[in-house]
Amino acid sequence: MKNVILKSTVFVAISIAMYSCKRDECHECHYDKAGSTVEMGEYCGEALENLETTGSYTDTTGTYVVHCHGH
Amino acid sequence: MKKIIVLFLLGSFGVLGQKRLTGVVKNKETKLGIDDAQIQILETGDRTFSNKEGVFIFEGNFPENVQLKAAALGYQTELINVSFSVSNSIEIILTEKHVDLEEITISTGANVMQNKSPFHVETRKLSDLNGVATMNLGEAIAKIPGVYQSSLGNGISKPVIRGLQGMRVVTLLNGLRIEGQQWGGDHGMGLSEIGIGSVEVIKGPASLLFGADALGGVLYFSDEPYAATNTRSLNIQSLYQSNTQGGSLRFLYKESRKKLRWLIGGSYSNHADFQLPDGKFAKNSRFDESVLKSALSFNGKNSVHHLRYTFNSTVTGIPGHTHDSLAVFSDFQVVEQKRKYELPAQFFQNHFLSFDNKWFFGSSDLQFFMGATSNRLIEFDEKVTIPSLSMRLNNGLYSLKWNRKWSNSSKMTIGMQGMAQNNVNAKNASDILIPNAQTFDNGIFVNWVYDWNRWIFQSGLRYDIRILKSFNTFEINVPISKFYGSPNAAMGVVYNSEKFTFRTNISSGFRAPHLTELLANGFHHGALRFEIGDVNLKPETATQLDVTLEFKNEHLSLVLNPYVNYISNFIFLQPIDSLVDGIPVFSFEKLNAVLFYGSDIGIHYHPHFAHNLHVESSFSWINTFTKSDSSISFLPPSRLNTSLKYSFNFGKKFQLKELILQHTFMAQQTKVAFNELPSKAYNLLNISLNASVNLKQTFGISIGCKNILNEQFIDHLSRLKNIEMPSMGRNFYVSVNFLINQNYKSNTL
Repeated sequence: MKNVILKSTVFVAISIAMYSCKRDECHECHYDKAGSTVEMGEYCGEALENLETTGSYTDTTGTYVVHCHGH
Repeated sequence: MKKIIVLFLLGSFGVLGQKRLTGVVKNKETKLGIDDAQIQILETGDRTFSNKEGVFIFEGNFPENVQLKAAALGYQTELINVSFSVSNSIEIILTEKHVDLEEITISTGANVMQNKSPFHVETRKLSDLNGVATMNLGEAIAKIPGVYQSSLGNGISKPVIRGLQGMRVVTLLNGLRIEGQQWGGDHGMGLSEIGIGSVEVIKGPASLLFGADALGGVLYFSDEPYAATNTRSLNIQSLYQSNTQGGSLRFLYKESRKKLRWLIGGSYSNHADFQLPDGKFAKNSRFDESVLKSALSFNGKNSVHHLRYTFNSTVTGIPGHTHDSLAVFSDFQVVEQKRKYELPAQFFQNHFLSFDNKWFFGSSDLQFFMGATSNRLIEFDEKVTIPSLSMRLNNGLYSLKWNRKWSNSSKMTIGMQGMAQNNVNAKNASDILIPNAQTFDNGIFVNWVYDWNRWIFQSGLRYDIRILKSFNTFEINVPISKFYGSPNAAMGVVYNSEKFTFRTNISSGFRAPHLTELLANGFHHGALRFEIGDVNLKPETATQLDVTLEFKNEHLSLVLNPYVNYISNFIFLQPIDSLVDGIPVFSFEKLNAVLFYGSDIGIHYHPHFAHNLHVESSFSWINTFTKSDSSISFLPPSRLNTSLKYSFNFGKKFQLKELILQHTFMAQQTKVAFNELPSKAYNLLNISLNASVNLKQTFGISIGCKNILNEQFIDHLSRLKNIEMPSMGRNFYVSVNFLINQNYKSNTL
């Protein structure tokens, strides 16, 4: 009985912990320039978040909206 | 000091003053004992089974007066009152019956035997609704007359009762009111089937017992019973569905000792994009769901207590979503089936915690219920790390009910219920649709039941208040503080004869405008709308007249249930001819009056010449009357459901059990709101074959096919109707169910 309760408690704790953890996702990002897609490579975690917060990429020719998903 | 603590603990667990009840269950004709009859104490939920001689024993803490439910295969179910002060032994006589068309059911929600309630309560076992496997709980309950589902793909399903949905339908899980931003058409129920035994549907305003908001009706889900006393069981179930290349895996472990009962379970479901009849796939209709469920129950000396916790997490793709004004419908139907998470998507997490307590005092009982729910809703639209919408809704509830039996024919319930809600937007969300706000509900009620010969009268009064306070959350939002209050009443009568039952009732309800209807001002990406609220909206009030006529004999059962539901200040979404960022704008407006009317008709036939055949059919018809006919959207079409079930008794080690054939005819719907598309009629045919493999343990196996004819149809209540996305095509499934039951030798704990 004690064993079952102990195992169940561990199961519950692990399950909740799994859902509490923030997923450190990686995504390929790109922007559209002059009718073609320019790949920016893979961004992960904080770098990905920073890029999406800025939301754009600027070079000498202009500023472009960045996308990091396969919409 | 130690002695005092030990005495206190023993007292609270009721170790002092245990009771013992012995009994025998016998066949009325032969006077022989009945093996494997199930006997349940309704007040506490304790269960046991009789042995080969028909003998059973209950030992533990029970109230002084209890009601036993005795059921056995092939016999008519009986209810027996037992008073421990009179006798500790009992003889139960059961009458043979080759079929029980209408099993005795106790309405948990209304706390009354169903045939004694003037209010038509439709109770269904989930196992019956899942005779042919379903994709989700919403699809299962949509087989009940008058109940439909409004879906957004397979992952999001909302119940619709008599044409009303969203905030107008209240869902309860073991008495806990489920609050999960249900105002949104794209926000699902947040419930999984695991561990749920039955569902009760109360159609129409049910404010008297369940509080404000329930103008359309109430869904009351109850857990399966705990394991029988001194037994434990493990149930593992897996289901594979070919259409979505997905399925679910569930386990449920139960254990019951003399005083303590508990269970723990979990389930995981994953489905890729569903396949359309033409072979293409509905883009981003995938979903993923994980559930954890636990419950603990114990008896005190004169009390019973249930502690329950459920956690539910879903990740659902939002199909049919675009910001591209040049998009065409075919863009949403793709040739490749995908499973991996993609935007736009919805993350939905729920925590449900409840503590239900009941104390018994001779001719009265007191119930104190408290609970908490926490719902996290996050929608990702354009960015993978920055949500477009992110809200947490925390909810605390309580209810206190005192039931007093004045005599054998008169019973009264007095009670109060309350709820406090707090809605908070996350700071990292790019959009805010509704502001941070707090809501406080409270209500008091009294209900009286009088039993006179074959007649039962019921009447009740209730008064509810709601206080709503919103905070300054976004730029153009002005904080508001509102107070709403309304009296409500219900009265009804039921007449029971041997073959006929007549019941009628009139009930009222009220629903204060929801936060979103008052203060919405922003993008609702899941619904693909820009929504604007109206702070001056008034509460909706509803009055329903409901009549039920029932006829039953040994082989036939007929039900006719017409109704009219008059709603004033009806709030609805009106499209405005404008776009914001390519998304259409809708505003909340009101109609002075709407009349919902219709009827549910049911027949259950069991021919005398074919004892193994059951034919069940139901017809639901709903209509509305308004001065302006373009305001009621998603009005369910008429529906005819027919089910043929043939039970086998074929084979030993491999036993064929039943063959089920289901047919649904959904009529066309041409009565539509402004900008809403009508829908065509369609026929659906499903089949299921259920068998068991009886080795050392028993395995249940089900194979079946849904939409056998691969019919291409668009359901009128589908949220994907306006992009002309058909529903799922042909779907084969196989399900394996493994159940282990074990008795304890010792009666410890």
